[in-house]
Amino acid sequence: MTRTPILELRGIDKSFGAVQVLHDVALSAYAGEVTALVGDNGAGKSTLVKCIGGIHPIDAGDYLFEGRPVQVHSPRDAAELGVEIVYQDLALCDNLDIVQNMFLGREKRRGAFLDDSTMEEMAAATLKGLSVRTVKSLRQKVSSLSGGQRQTVAIAKAVLWNSKLVILDEPTAALGVAQTAQVLELVRRLADNGLAVVLISHNMNDVFAVSDRIAALYLGRMAAQVTTSDVTHAQVVELITSGRSGDLGLTTTANGAAA
Amino acid sequence: MKAGPSQEEIRQHNLGALLRHVHLGGPTSRADLATRMGLNRSTILALVNDLTAAGLVREELPQVTGRAGRPSLVVRPVATRAHVLALDVGVERLTAALIGLGGVFLDRRECAWSPERPQDPAEVADILAEYADDVLSAAPAGGSCVGVAVAVRGIVRHPDGLVSLTPNMGWKDVDLAAELSGRLHLDVPVPVLVANEANLGALAEHRRGGGRGSQNLIYLHGEIGIGAGIVVDGELLRGGRGYAGEIGHITVNPHRGRPCGCGAHGCLEAEAGERALLEAAGRDPRVTGAGAVRAVVTAADLGDVTARAALHRVGDWLGIGIGTLANLFNPDLIVFGGTLRDVYLGSAAQVRSRVNTSALFACREHLRLRVSELGGDAILIGAAELAFSELLARPLETLSPHAEEGAPIPRGSRRGQLAVNPLPLEPADHGNDPGHGPGVRAGLGLDR
Ligand SMILES: Nc1ncnc2c1ncn2[C@@H]1O[C@H](COP(=O)(O)OP(=O)(O)O)[C@@H](O)[C@H]1O
Ligand SMILES: [Mg+2]
Repeated sequence: MTRTPILELRGIDKSFGAVQVLHDVALSAYAGEVTALVGDNGAGKSTLVKCIGGIHPIDAGDYLFEGRPVQVHSPRDAAELGVEIVYQDLALCDNLDIVQNMFLGREKRRGAFLDDSTMEEMAAATLKGLSVRTVKSLRQKVSSLSGGQRQTVAIAKAVLWNSKLVILDEPTAALGVAQTAQVLELVRRLADNGLAVVLISHNMNDVFAVSDRIAALYLGRMAAQVTTSDVTHAQVVELITSGRSGDLGLTTTANGAAA
Repeated sequence: MKAGPSQEEIRQHNLGALLRHVHLGGPTSRADLATRMGLNRSTILALVNDLTAAGLVREELPQVTGRAGRPSLVVRPVATRAHVLALDVGVERLTAALIGLGGVFLDRRECAWSPERPQDPAEVADILAEYADDVLSAAPAGGSCVGVAVAVRGIVRHPDGLVSLTPNMGWKDVDLAAELSGRLHLDVPVPVLVANEANLGALAEHRRGGGRGSQNLIYLHGEIGIGAGIVVDGELLRGGRGYAGEIGHITVNPHRGRPCGCGAHGCLEAEAGERALLEAAGRDPRVTGAGAVRAVVTAADLGDVTARAALHRVGDWLGIGIGTLANLFNPDLIVFGGTLRDVYLGSAAQVRSRVNTSALFACREHLRLRVSELGGDAILIGAAELAFSELLARPLETLSPHAEEGAPIPRGSRRGQLAVNPLPLEPADHGNDPGHGPGVRAGLGLDR
């Protein structure tokens, strides 16, 4: 029984000038599942995400979406496919309110002009559908929101646009325990609603609490993709720090070039 | 040889099934009800008319749809027509809530309740009855109280509802239903149902929380101790006398285990309960509760190595307990409620790792571990669901003693097909139970 992943990457290479950051990377993300992307600082997680999002062009490799090979050359291409990314350096406009942020740059997609009250209604319905109760007013400026609320709005924006794949680059890194719990619940709900979710996190408790699969990057190589019901914390830490753990992981060390 | 159901029995069954659909699923169009219940549209219309006449449902235009086109009417449960009292004897607080049809919280009263206080059942009943009076007297006009259920942190005997033991309050063989029945001022007396808190949490998550759609789930509740409500094939596991699910008292550490409130050593709750966590984290183990547990999780997040080690240790024991549950019951979902919610989020890596090394691969492969969606209200929501059982089994019969308070109750039978059983965990069939009169304690665990 094989399911077609929403996203499938194969053999992705990416260099910045003379420095190769991604080597022959494969990654799959499935509908209804959270795939945790883990790896040390500098392993290439954010770069990989930016390749998926069309910010960086890939040098080589296949990008398949719902089983079909696609070309993604710009963020617009990614958005057209249904890929929504919440970047580490969060892209919300401080001086706009929640509704304006959720609709930013998207009006054309709907064809007709959207009036304010329709937009507010849609934003409210989206937040309600995600059981988000922490935001008081939708006309609040984003600058007045807490870190957790900003993440919530960024995630809700992804849902509003009927995305198929949502990627979150360290959404809980700057949050306290209670806010992290809320964001994790939201992440889980996205997947339970049928989306494919890729979550980047350094917190192993967060990773084990919400993920179905774990993909470990080591020095720009995909060391292993495993199911969360089949690994231990110690194994994942080994994959992150040395690229292998027992039978799992890269067959030769990164210095030996071949993976 | 048993005769088939009479027309009237079919009608009562279908009325109950329809009411359950909107009670749990919210406003639904008649066309959707027909599809989901496997009945034709004219039967649905007749049932909706009967329930509308009783005031239990109302047909109206849906609220914001976001979609264009002419919206069809939806059948909505009327929260103000029928309500129940959901009572909770928690470790930290006593709560009385008035919950309307559809699961709407209409009102609630609660007070902090220190575990150090003398724990006299009569005193507890006094407070709960006073709160019950408060919320009942402020209840919506025209509403009827159709059930009462109370959650206790202890084991409850089937089928009479006797509280056999509450390890942390020191109750033994307490007839809490009788204590409460004698103190409640209900216009029409209804039975007081008593149930174990984790069983009610399981019911709540199964019907209204993350367990919707799962037929095999286990709800774990942490509150000093650790309790489990186990749903197997859509039914709550009760055991011979009603005591099944005492996961907190399985032995995980027999040789050098910590002493447990039950008298044994090395029970899961002795190793993984709040006191064990607090003590391992170097805090006062007498100051238990959600705040104390959260403080440990927060400290660990901020880098406190002792707190981290404590969560690591507790997560390990929890994983051992859960691995056992996975091997025994092969659930597809385990839900963490009460203070275990925070403990799990702070130790998920350890919990999962231990489950993954102790349970058989086949038993854990599709096991999801999740925190409670209903949070702190799970137990009250479960109590309300139990208290609504009678109304949802026989809506018009249950409401008829209350008829003078609201609309007249329609009579007369109709021809009809039998509805497809909508949901698991059907309420008890007390129809021929002579002992099921007003004021009689009943319903153990989740009496079916
Ligand atoms: N725009 C860029 N130009 C040059 N080097 C880059 C650029 N972006 C990232 N890098 C380098 O690529 C490597 C991977 O970085 P990054 O993808 O941010 O890792 P991670 O997100 O896993 O911490 C690092 O060595 C980083 O310095
Ligand atoms: Mg990064």
